[in-house]
Amino acid sequence: MNDREHELFEAELRRLKPAEPPEEFMARLAAAQPMPRMQPGVRSWPVRQPNFWRVLLRWLAPAMAGAAMVAALLVWQMHQPEGRSPSQTVIASAKPALKADNVEIDRQLVAAFDTVARMPGGEPVRFRCREWMDNVVLRDSAQGVEVEQRTPRLEVVPVGFETY
Amino acid sequence: MDKSPTQADWRRWLEDHAPKFLLFARQKARSEADAQDLIQEAVVEAWQRQGDGQPPPLALVFATIHRRAIDLARSEDRRVGRELAVVEPPAESWFDTTVEDRELRQLIQDAMNRLPDMYREVITLKVWGGLTFAEIADALGIPANTAASRYRYGLAELRKLTKEVLA
Repeated sequence: MNDREHELFEAELRRLKPAEPPEEFMARLAAAQPMPRMQPGVRSWPVRQPNFWRVLLRWLAPAMAGAAMVAALLVWQMHQPEGRSPSQTVIASAKPALKADNVEIDRQLVAAFDTVARMPGGEPVRFRCREWMDNVVLRDSAQGVEVEQRTPRLEVVPVGFETY
Repeated sequence: MDKSPTQADWRRWLEDHAPKFLLFARQKARSEADAQDLIQEAVVEAWQRQGDGQPPPLALVFATIHRRAIDLARSEDRRVGRELAVVEPPAESWFDTTVEDRELRQLIQDAMNRLPDMYREVITLKVWGGLTFAEIADALGIPANTAASRYRYGLAELRKLTKEVLA
């Protein structure tokens, strides 16, 4: 079907008009006039205007409850037995850090000995062993604090044998 | 809150468009009563969806008829399956009987009845519903290009069917 035939046939179809609906059906449709429909979330009842006492109660009630809780807490604290309170502990631990203005580092030879061991190939290896005691002393003159720490230390030095 | 049309607006709108709605619904429904029920429910729903007191777009009404017809057909299928009932197609004339060429009217109606539904609905909406291809696409939930090609193929098929009858 070419365009001309297409248009002619279309025009022929348009000559036909849809049939008129029966009268009783039209009367039924006319009676079915859409009524306003509620939108979701929209209320039909009037919104109450906020009055002074309602607003006052809305804000005053929580405030009064908070004040009552604070008062009860204060009364409870006043009746607690005296002692070191947690807040005092915090203050005590918040002393300034130790500041060492005098440091002494010393070592003392405690023992010295030699020992001989053999390597997997059989050759001997001599070890010179020394046992030291390291001593560190920190002093904070301002606070009058002295800290001393002693640490033992073993020093092992291998000494090879020369064989001829 | 929604506005509603005045009684005069409502009646005028029905007189202008009810015939084309009924033509479309008769092709979709299995009985005249179903077709009329479809229209009543669809126009009320479309007006309420529009919500501003203005007439809804015709494409929206046709889309609602189309959707409700599918729902109805599904429920009818279930009912028929249960009852093993046979539903006769509506016998009402689709076109204005005052038209001089009554033979043409009957010829076109018979040919339209034999046309596949996907062609028939597009031709009906375009020729007698007055919709554009974009509106037909909206109403039927298909792409506009598909609507246009179905229209063209459908017209060719319809012409072929009418020629067969005349021959």
